[in-house]
Amino acid sequence: MPSSAVTNRPEEVTARLGVGGGAAQGEALLKALREVKNQIIGNKTKKLLYLQLGAVPKIVSVLAASVASSLGGAGLEDAPVIVQAAAAIGSFACGVEDGVRAVLDAGAVPHLISILSHHDDKVVDAGARSLKMIFQSKMAPKYDVLQDKNLNFILSLLDSDNENVTELAACIIAHSCETNEEQKALCDAGVLQRLVSLLGGSSNQKDACLECIKAVVKDNSEVSSRFSCIGNGKALKALSDLIQDRYPYTRLLSCKCLIAIGHASPSYVEELQIKTKLVLVLAELLEEPGRVGDEAPFSLKKLIADNEELHKQALSINVIEKLCNFLHMSSIQSRRLQGILLALSELCSKLEKCRCQLLSPQVYSLNLEVRVLDLVIDSLEHDCAEVRAAACICIRNITRSLKDRLQNLSAGSLSNEAVVIRLVQLLYDPSSSIQLVALGALCNIIVICASRKSVLIRCGGVSQLVRLSTSMDSTLRLKSLSVLRNFLFLANTTDKECILKELSLHTLVSLLNDAEHSIQEQALALVNNLIDGCSSVEHIFTEKCYSLILDAVTRQLKQASSLGVCIQGMFVLSNIAAWSDFDKDSVTDYLIAYDDNHKPSLAIKFLQSNDKSLRLASLWCLLNLTNPSSAGSSRRVTKLQTAGIIFQLKSMLNDPCSDCKLRLRMVLEQCTEFETSQP
Amino acid sequence: MSKKVITRDEWERKLKDVKITKEDMNKLIMNFLVTEGYVDTAEKFRIESGTEPGVDLATITDRMTVKQALQSGNVEDAIEKVNDLNPTILDTNPQLYFHLQQQRLIELIRSGKIEEALEFAQEELAPRGEENQSFLEELEKTVALLVFEDVKNCPYGDLLDVSQRLKTASELNAAILTSQSHEKDPKLPSLLKKLIWTQNQLDEKAAYPKINNLTTAALDDPVV
Repeated sequence: MPSSAVTNRPEEVTARLGVGGGAAQGEALLKALREVKNQIIGNKTKKLLYLQLGAVPKIVSVLAASVASSLGGAGLEDAPVIVQAAAAIGSFACGVEDGVRAVLDAGAVPHLISILSHHDDKVVDAGARSLKMIFQSKMAPKYDVLQDKNLNFILSLLDSDNENVTELAACIIAHSCETNEEQKALCDAGVLQRLVSLLGGSSNQKDACLECIKAVVKDNSEVSSRFSCIGNGKALKALSDLIQDRYPYTRLLSCKCLIAIGHASPSYVEELQIKTKLVLVLAELLEEPGRVGDEAPFSLKKLIADNEELHKQALSINVIEKLCNFLHMSSIQSRRLQGILLALSELCSKLEKCRCQLLSPQVYSLNLEVRVLDLVIDSLEHDCAEVRAAACICIRNITRSLKDRLQNLSAGSLSNEAVVIRLVQLLYDPSSSIQLVALGALCNIIVICASRKSVLIRCGGVSQLVRLSTSMDSTLRLKSLSVLRNFLFLANTTDKECILKELSLHTLVSLLNDAEHSIQEQALALVNNLIDGCSSVEHIFTEKCYSLILDAVTRQLKQASSLGVCIQGMFVLSNIAAWSDFDKDSVTDYLIAYDDNHKPSLAIKFLQSNDKSLRLASLWCLLNLTNPSSAGSSRRVTKLQTAGIIFQLKSMLNDPCSDCKLRLRMVLEQCTEFETSQP
Repeated sequence: MSKKVITRDEWERKLKDVKITKEDMNKLIMNFLVTEGYVDTAEKFRIESGTEPGVDLATITDRMTVKQALQSGNVEDAIEKVNDLNPTILDTNPQLYFHLQQQRLIELIRSGKIEEALEFAQEELAPRGEENQSFLEELEKTVALLVFEDVKNCPYGDLLDVSQRLKTASELNAAILTSQSHEKDPKLPSLLKKLIWTQNQLDEKAAYPKINNLTTAALDDPVV
């Protein structure tokens, strides 16, 4: 490179910046500023280099000096310097966190704000653009709109003829408006009306205003309702028109606005017609490239959330096919993939038809050999944590009604071992929220099908589940316990022994005694599944185990911390009551026991419950205890009679629950047999 | 399957029935001139036809100086000009910025300044590849030009074509238009695309006088 008196190496350019000292002046300073600006725009590496050289505070000092001199009425020369300095500052704040920090620390913002009222349009533009860059960063300070002075200033910006300025105002408001109080203050000041009128401007202005409107109305029912009333519905009409704007990004933003209003204050936007239109528009936007297509599935999910009618609408316009077509693309953006999986999850959360569509072997995307479900399962291994979590949720929702569709399992779907193995891998994920959704998915999948259970054991899933069941996090304990419970449903003896061995008596008892009653309930249900199908205790527990467990069960029944606990506990006793005479006797003794305060016995208490499931569980237990084919039933009936149980049963003949009535009559029949056959 | 045959006479009769106003055509032409940046022509056309450009012609002039600088191979000049026009454009269009840097390298290679080119590739282009993986492939192609003796005839020689400059110029023009809230594509090409698509659709159903040459728009007799 030819040598010259003045070079453009960053160190030397930086040396020429500043006020006084060795810094350049006049034309030379202007050149230096321009040089920095041109070197850093678009160039992250150069930005970082100049940041390290301390260029930012120097440039801000130049800006400050020029602004002061300009306000003093002096130089026309100041304007170009201000423009270049402002542009450089704005560029430092673009896309580089350290840059934003440096700009904020150097105190650039007040100076940039002061030039917004400069007489030279170019200066105003420069200031507005730079401030916009700064306020688009999360690190920018929040503008306190609750202060009158500030609010008035923002309003004056919104009234400007200069689009850069109005866009800036919209940007500041969107960045700073968080609390309901702030939203209300802005609404009271008429900001919404002004924003709506600005919607008639250029497309960049439209977009800025739409983002701003959404920030002001979001999650605020009062402000949203007031928005709906503006111009007697004209404001809403303006938004509705924009969902068919020529630019996809504008369409997306207006959809988001309407969705936000609809969620905050269901009124106008409650109409199915407008929501159906939104589904259509968003379904089309799914296919747009770039950020529009990336964000569209998230908005779609929000729109149709928990709304079965809208799920059906989406289904009828082939939204599922559209979403699935993306899944098979090899290089899909993580954000878009996450959105698509979440949208599919939402659609599968209620409608069986959707789930079938994804499970059916006939549903292929463009590549005929790949099933959609396999693509979702593949996503369980994605690099991005959010994608993994979304894939789990998707699988969990798809398998929701699996228990009811045993026949469909043979269609080959989900017989793939991969899904179990990958979900188990996610049980080791550092993020507990991912562990939780993986547990949710496993819960559904593991219920039926012996082959999946054996995979779970083989890949160490049971060990991890047991580990998680002793986690400090109660939600993890609960969910992992639910998986183990489901695992044990209709399990064979080998599987049961495996679980018991891993779980250990100690853990099981401590879970039965857990502080959370939801966990107690799951633990009891797990015990139920363990003993279900056994005809005696030896099949499953050693005597020591059994008595410890029974102790825990009866303790929880006595404490009766929740309805669920009582019901599950009674199921356990019912199961035991089907065993030997000895077992039946212990259960009977337990049920009729009084405590010192003469509170009613457990049997009476539960039979008198308002909850029919609890009454029914108790009746089943009594049914087993009084079974005529058992030798000791007669003496047990006598005990029950003495304890007033028979009397209680007779008073329940008009039980409102028909199931209860039926069992009740059966018990009484069995008991009367013994009464009459007494010598 | 036999297709319906439409004779030239029938066709021309049908075409006569379609009414298009002069105003609409003028607007299309003006839209093309404005979007592509032909300021002087647009001004003259405005005077002659009374069609309003819809934008301040001064903004077009700015845009055109940028485009011309790029088309003459003065990339640095183009960058400075676009930064004067709106400093946020290149900051928010990383792919465009990369293409401009790439063009600078190409121009250095074209003028035989290999040493400078190497230095530039190392200092300016390599960081782009580090900042953004998706640029690596194009980056490698461009840097590969430095390896060949006979650059024009090497596998990536088309990068040295003027067409590459025009491509980048077009990209830059579109970015400026977008920043000014204008549509970046003129309507005329879209109309022509639609014409071709419509003809392709009709081809499956009928034999008719077809336009095969867009520049002459001559009707070729139906092939029966």
